[in-house]
Amino acid sequence: MNFRHILNEIENQDPEAYHNLSDRRSMLGSFGSKVALAALPFAVASMFRKAAAQTTDVVVDVLNLALEIEFMQYTYYRQGNNTGSLISSNDLPGFKAIENQKKMHVSFLETLIKELGGVSFKPNYYTSPTTVHPYVPAAYDFTMGGTYTPFADYATFLKLAQILEDTGIHAIQGQITTLQTNNAVLTQMVSLLAVKGRHASFVRLMRRLAVNAPETPTPWIQNNIPPSIPLQKYYVGEDNTEQMGLNIAALGNTYYNSGLMPQTAATAAFDEGYTKDAIMTLIAPFKKI
Amino acid sequence: MNTNNTPETLQVQGEEAGFNPSRRRFFQLAGGVAGLGMLAASCRRTPASDTWLGKGDVALLNYLYILKQVTVAFYTQAVATPYYDITASEVELQLDIRDQEVAHREFLKTLLGKDAVKTITMELSAVTFADKSSFLSHAATLEDLSASAYAGVMKLLSDQSYIVSFSKMASVDARHAGYVRDILNHNSFSSGMNVLDSKGLNWMTSPSVGMATLSNYIETRFDISNLPTF
Repeated sequence: MNFRHILNEIENQDPEAYHNLSDRRSMLGSFGSKVALAALPFAVASMFRKAAAQTTDVVVDVLNLALEIEFMQYTYYRQGNNTGSLISSNDLPGFKAIENQKKMHVSFLETLIKELGGVSFKPNYYTSPTTVHPYVPAAYDFTMGGTYTPFADYATFLKLAQILEDTGIHAIQGQITTLQTNNAVLTQMVSLLAVKGRHASFVRLMRRLAVNAPETPTPWIQNNIPPSIPLQKYYVGEDNTEQMGLNIAALGNTYYNSGLMPQTAATAAFDEGYTKDAIMTLIAPFKKI
Repeated sequence: MNTNNTPETLQVQGEEAGFNPSRRRFFQLAGGVAGLGMLAASCRRTPASDTWLGKGDVALLNYLYILKQVTVAFYTQAVATPYYDITASEVELQLDIRDQEVAHREFLKTLLGKDAVKTITMELSAVTFADKSSFLSHAATLEDLSASAYAGVMKLLSDQSYIVSFSKMASVDARHAGYVRDILNHNSFSSGMNVLDSKGLNWMTSPSVGMATLSNYIETRFDISNLPTF
């Protein structure tokens, strides 16, 4: 492998990698003449460490975004599960399971971030006496500024749970390429994403079956259908039909006279990803400043 | 011995194909290639009549493509002969799943192009489609496999450009898995054997284990000697 090619590769993949180094020309120059040959491996190793540290920072950022959402979701479900008769005894075991798995996810992410040398996210007001890690009720306003009463009726509880679940999926999905630099993290986060898919599916199915939600939700996201118009922004772009440059809606489906894929299936077959900025905007109404 | 995925081979392939090796692979190469050597691929000679999956990424994509051919055949039969006592909602949702599986199948087929395995013969006699419990427990097996297959594939993929779309399909297949598990046994959308691990993450299935599960539903035999696995 060509050394210059290695440098090119680092620079292409991560322009930031050079920030803490002297510029590339002088670096190569110094390898050519001034640095003793024996020192070369150390110099190279140090460059790699710096490049790797930059990479780890962006990975930790993604994990912290995921962690922020897990704190919020855990607190939401714990509050709901402990609110009198909000959730029917028929469905309560499912929500208890979700609560328990969110807690496991918090713990998984905190451990992973620590292993990577990062600092774990903590919600606002984490030091409040009401905090029982990772339950931080002081941090959140689940009424979204007084608009909703999720702990007063089951339908509203489910509606906001759906928003929180689908947004959690959009958040990880949108940052997945950042994790490519660390295969072990990538595969674990895809596995975490799959559990979120199971949770979202359950919440949406309960909206369909238990409370007859008006738009007859499916466990998957068809087009960009929101639970209600004011929540449309949580589904922007979910009606995308293009994946890797292919129009999924134009692929064959011989079960239909048209021979084409229904738009609902083309969109539901792929969950979309949102940028971190978009996610921060979408979760802001749930957070106390 | 299968040396398909040794670093030397990867490097040569990369240069021959004129593409930029990914940074992940670069660090693996630079880092002394620990972690790439855990191939459990069999050295057994397979009869020439078996359908070869290809090697490397092609084999991994063919594995997912075969999985999707099975799920489409499975739900097609379910739609044709629905289980006794099926509800209107369940009829609608199993049609949805079938169509999404067709979307995944056609997507993978298009990505594979000429490398896609030819039509395969299904063997679904293990499933009693008229019986809700039989159908749903097989559906859970296939959907759990779908939800857990992508992470296993991503562990081995060379071409990182597939990661975004595969991850988008992974969470959707997990939605399917959660659904079929819930109607099989209410509230069990994320419970069952090999569903979650001790960290609360979804199970990750290796390609060779995935192919073994699929072989219960397929008559065609495959030569997976060059399928990357762990």
